[in-house]
Amino acid sequence: MFSRILRHEWRLLSGDATLWLVTAVCAAAIGYGVWNGARWVRFQQQAIADASAEQAKRYDALQTQITALRQPGASVSPFADPRNPSSLGGRLGPKYATLPPAPLAALAIGQSDLLPYYFKVSTDARENIVSTTEIENPNRLLAGRFDLAFVIIFFLPLLILALTYNMVSAEQEQGTLALVLSQPVGTGTLVRGKVAVRATVLVGVLVVLAGAALLITGVNLTAAGAVPRLLMWIVAVTAYAAFWFGLAVCVSSLGQSSTANATILATTWLALVVVAPSLFNLIATSFYPVPSRVEMVQAVREASDEANKEGSKLLARYYEDHPELATGDAAQAMTDFNVVRVAVNDDVENRVRPVVQRYERQIAAQQQTLDRLRFFSPAILMQSALNDVAGSGVDRHRHFISQLDAFHAQWRAHFVPLIFAKARVTSLDTLPSFTFVEESTAVLWGRVGTGVMALLLPSLALAWFGFRRLRRYPVAG
Amino acid sequence: MISRIARKEFLELTRDGRYRILAGVVLVLSLLSLAVGWNNYSSLSKQHETAQAATRTQWLAQDKKNPHSAAHYGMYAFKPKSQLAMVDTGIDPYVGVAVWMEAHKQNDFKFRPAQDRTAVQRFGEMTGAEVLQVLLPLFVVLMTFSAFTAEREQGTLRQLMSLGVSPRMLALGKAAGVALALAIVLVPATVLGVVAFMWTTESGLLAGDAGRVAWMIAVYLVYFATLIAIGLAVSAATRSSRVSLLVLLAFWFANSLLATRAAADLAGALHPTPSAVQFQRALEEDLSDQQAVAQRLEVRRAALFKEHNVDHVDALPIAFSGISLQEGEEHANEVFDEHFGRLFNLYEQQNRVLQAAGMAAPMLAVRSLSMGLAGTDFNQHRDFVAAAENYRRDIQRVLNADIAANQKKGQVYLADRSLWEQVPEFEYTAPPTQWVLGNYITSLIVLIAWFAASAFVLFRSTARLQVD
Repeated sequence: MFSRILRHEWRLLSGDATLWLVTAVCAAAIGYGVWNGARWVRFQQQAIADASAEQAKRYDALQTQITALRQPGASVSPFADPRNPSSLGGRLGPKYATLPPAPLAALAIGQSDLLPYYFKVSTDARENIVSTTEIENPNRLLAGRFDLAFVIIFFLPLLILALTYNMVSAEQEQGTLALVLSQPVGTGTLVRGKVAVRATVLVGVLVVLAGAALLITGVNLTAAGAVPRLLMWIVAVTAYAAFWFGLAVCVSSLGQSSTANATILATTWLALVVVAPSLFNLIATSFYPVPSRVEMVQAVREASDEANKEGSKLLARYYEDHPELATGDAAQAMTDFNVVRVAVNDDVENRVRPVVQRYERQIAAQQQTLDRLRFFSPAILMQSALNDVAGSGVDRHRHFISQLDAFHAQWRAHFVPLIFAKARVTSLDTLPSFTFVEESTAVLWGRVGTGVMALLLPSLALAWFGFRRLRRYPVAG
Repeated sequence: MISRIARKEFLELTRDGRYRILAGVVLVLSLLSLAVGWNNYSSLSKQHETAQAATRTQWLAQDKKNPHSAAHYGMYAFKPKSQLAMVDTGIDPYVGVAVWMEAHKQNDFKFRPAQDRTAVQRFGEMTGAEVLQVLLPLFVVLMTFSAFTAEREQGTLRQLMSLGVSPRMLALGKAAGVALALAIVLVPATVLGVVAFMWTTESGLLAGDAGRVAWMIAVYLVYFATLIAIGLAVSAATRSSRVSLLVLLAFWFANSLLATRAAADLAGALHPTPSAVQFQRALEEDLSDQQAVAQRLEVRRAALFKEHNVDHVDALPIAFSGISLQEGEEHANEVFDEHFGRLFNLYEQQNRVLQAAGMAAPMLAVRSLSMGLAGTDFNQHRDFVAAAENYRRDIQRVLNADIAANQKKGQVYLADRSLWEQVPEFEYTAPPTQWVLGNYITSLIVLIAWFAASAFVLFRSTARLQVD
């Protein structure tokens, strides 16, 4: 019986213009979304390539200069001298730390247009390094991008609701429901059949179209990590679709008219997808407001004023903390500008750290609040899952920043002893370099899996409730 | 007759439980967004004012030092909050809040508040503007979609027409009824908004920004009138409430959610933004053009020699180092003007695409106008960037002129507080309302055109109303 309902529903659905319209709209939206994502990925890759080309060119020039300075009689100002470790580690020889787009980054632009993906790392203070950004028209950042994630989060539920809002009520309104139910079939089985056909067709169309769009736009699906990510994406999208189908079944079971169903479903969609995220964001930012960074700017300023005033006193203290750096002529080093600067920078960072941490604590508290509230909005759950899969979310970025911090520390650890020893750098080959280490797939599955479970549980609950109620569905108006 | 139809429509709407719930929700959200907007504005503007005063104090408290050291120490400019940002935060979360004004360099504005938020921010902020641009239009859709179709389905339309009511009357009456029902939500929110606005104005009056407030109210009123007309027109033209609702929901989705993204992408595709790497490299190449600096210096030196009738630098009555520093600044200023000018013009080109796209989606026109009037659009950001940059250049001029006048050859020259005080305080006045409106002529025309077109379509579709 079930298979007969399936066949019948499929015949009805494929005969209806709605399905083809939905498929066409879907294809256009998905194609455009993936193309847009792929374009942005290419832009990022180009920027990273430009950065490394710039670095290579600069290093060639520095190496040439070092070689030239080996000639007797050659001279250069100490600020422009690449052999001077202070100049090289600071202004002349900074190296890029870059976050390459993940294999399926084209699936969701996420936060990648806002959070910088390359930094020029030098011995400079951390806050100066991480405060650089990619340039972009703020209006475009505000609007967000039309990517596949947008299509899925906002549009897919509407398509599902358009295909399902009247699946029972229309039969009742046309009077065909009584006819169908006169056969040996329950309302539950009938609706199961209707949902099965619609869900299979919609999710199938979505996955096939998205896969095709990825291939056409030249996304390499054989890259390391691409296949598990693609699997995660399919699982997450299916779970999200399941939620909306569950909701549609639940609302259908209430026995209202088609128009009433449409109104209820549209309002629910609005509440969950549009209102809830903004409202939750409002709650998180109101309970844990992040003060304007102007306060931090002022704190850094005050700290460096004081540190500069203390200057040589700080250096003495620095030597106490780092006795291994004290060379024989410490007295002369006291007057050495570069050495004092190391101590001053170090002191400024120590003074500023609590201020920076206050910001980080507030942001973390916001994130925590939203991590809890997201269970009330499938849209937020889906956003974080899609960002995770595409590697364009905050978690992968935080992973990058922690590696950046480690590299920054390594860079300093390389140069500070040279500065103190007043050594000359003769070769650039020994300088540390940055390579991004990708998050493990297991960690990723863990995060995406939580989101998927959080979507599946309410879907099951909604469907269970709906099917229970459907048993008592009024057959005739 | 119109008033009777309006009364009937109004009563029918307000007696509906669904209307009451929705109106209550929208009202609560408007008030909530206003309260939060007001709170954010007050705390942020205080933080920014305090910081701006502190940076001045630090500047004045500098020890004796060479003026060029002071130039490197520099000052900060913090972007002041515009008052109407409490209603529409516009691009504020996506532009930096502070710029360091130092010698030789036009720095970027740093610290975008959005970077201190979670990814959920990207769903949009719950501001007054969000409520007005996204939620209220949907509310209008739900209030209008069945205005004609339900009467047709119930058979009352035939009766109504048999009374000889003119279709135009009917359309106007229904529009007035919906508008009244909408006013129940809008009026209290607006009144409270204006009161909150006056509360934060120091003089307690609306003062200079009254024009902006009035224009903003007018823009939204025209927009809602347009939406009511569109809703009624669709309801009159479609066969059933179901179709009417689907058409209007599709329009709402395309207009309120899809259009902004699609238009922003289109703008980016038509006028691509360069990457920071590209921008920086081009900028640095031009900045380090030693030949241009040397040429400039040569011209200046020759002019000075002629003016003072001498033939070598040491014979000049002024220190050439000050002149040379200033010439370096002048060269850099030209380069900055060219590069930042090009980048900002590019953004403006992109924004013009957004304005033009208003022809396809009226929300885009309203969005641009709203941001502009709130003082949180790109043009006004650019205006502040330019003011800060001009101030930075003024600082350099004062300091370099002092070096030229007082530096003696072979001596260490140290200036003191009296010089720091010669640098005037940084003051910024936001541009007037006319200037803002001038930037958004396109959006204004587009909005009025949408209003006219929707009114026309409404009258057309009611004139051809089918009774069953």
